[in-house]
Amino acid sequence: MLIYSILFPILAIIAIIVFFFRFRSGKLSLSSFFIWSIIWIFVIIFSIFPDSSMVFARVFGITRGLDFIIITAVVLLFYLGVKLYYKLDKLEDDVNKIVKEVAISNEISLDDEEEK
Amino acid sequence: MDYKVTAEDKNATYVVLPAYNEETRIQPVIEAIAEKGYNMVIINDGSSDNTLDVILESKRKYPNRIHLYSLILNRGVGVATQTGFEAVLKFNPKYVVSMDSDGQHSADDLEAVIEPLVSGRAQAVIGVRPLKDMPKSRNFANAVMNFLTKIFYGVDVSDSQTGFRAITFDALNKITINARGYLISSEFIREVNDNDIPFEEVTIQTIYTPETQSKGTNSKVALKILFQMMKHKLFD
Repeated sequence: MLIYSILFPILAIIAIIVFFFRFRSGKLSLSSFFIWSIIWIFVIIFSIFPDSSMVFARVFGITRGLDFIIITAVVLLFYLGVKLYYKLDKLEDDVNKIVKEVAISNEISLDDEEEK
Repeated sequence: MDYKVTAEDKNATYVVLPAYNEETRIQPVIEAIAEKGYNMVIINDGSSDNTLDVILESKRKYPNRIHLYSLILNRGVGVATQTGFEAVLKFNPKYVVSMDSDGQHSADDLEAVIEPLVSGRAQAVIGVRPLKDMPKSRNFANAVMNFLTKIFYGVDVSDSQTGFRAITFDALNKITINARGYLISSEFIREVNDNDIPFEEVTIQTIYTPETQSKGTNSKVALKILFQMMKHKLFD
């Protein structure tokens, strides 16, 4: 047995446990937890039975199973990058809104300064 | 100039000044504007230097002319100007001007910039810097930005990156500014154009010093603006 076929399933199980706790504490939605669990389960399957990736590779017309795994990983990472970018963008908008609101409702007068 | 701008018109004009780390430059700008009889809404954009104290010092001299607001975090010239445009509404101004607070623009140009609004010829004005007055590095960046503004926003102007602009109260209520940074210049022009607000270009003088040179549209900022324009075009 190769090291990765032991290491990756262990990491995947830890990941599922972590995600489960995040889901339980309300930080992760049920659908996200579900999708992530499926991804981690596939990691476990592909690590223990590397040849099984061939089945999926053939569906997409890719010749090697490992290529399929790498391409899927890249697509997933790209998706995560875009998702993070939008989340950050929205957060920045929210921060701007708050900072603006706070500024507009607190006009600085000379009296404020003298009180300091 | 066919129309004489009166003291009453000046009193109905509010100048929005976004200020970020301008402790050494802002005071003469504010005081020149106040001397001429205009009102101001100054937005301290989370400056880390003594900009706020310097503005307060001027406010002591002209307490009724200066209205001061402060962003607790530095959010960029776009957000600071948006804040100014929102804050100014409660003073019921007739005309709203926004200009740079680093001394790059001259208060002497204010009259020429609001004149088309006062006379009713236009409802928005952009103060354009003559290309020949600009340093070469700026000249090129601005030419590129004008071209991009034309392609992405469909408006042909001779200086798309100007920070000197004026608009009537009614027109200001029609436009929406979302830009956070320097994109605001192009976005203002796009909004004016999209809302069919009649606008004019007025030639203004630009004072370039080594200090003001380091700010504004350099190639890094230009790239950022390009990226934001593409994003606007694709996703908004």
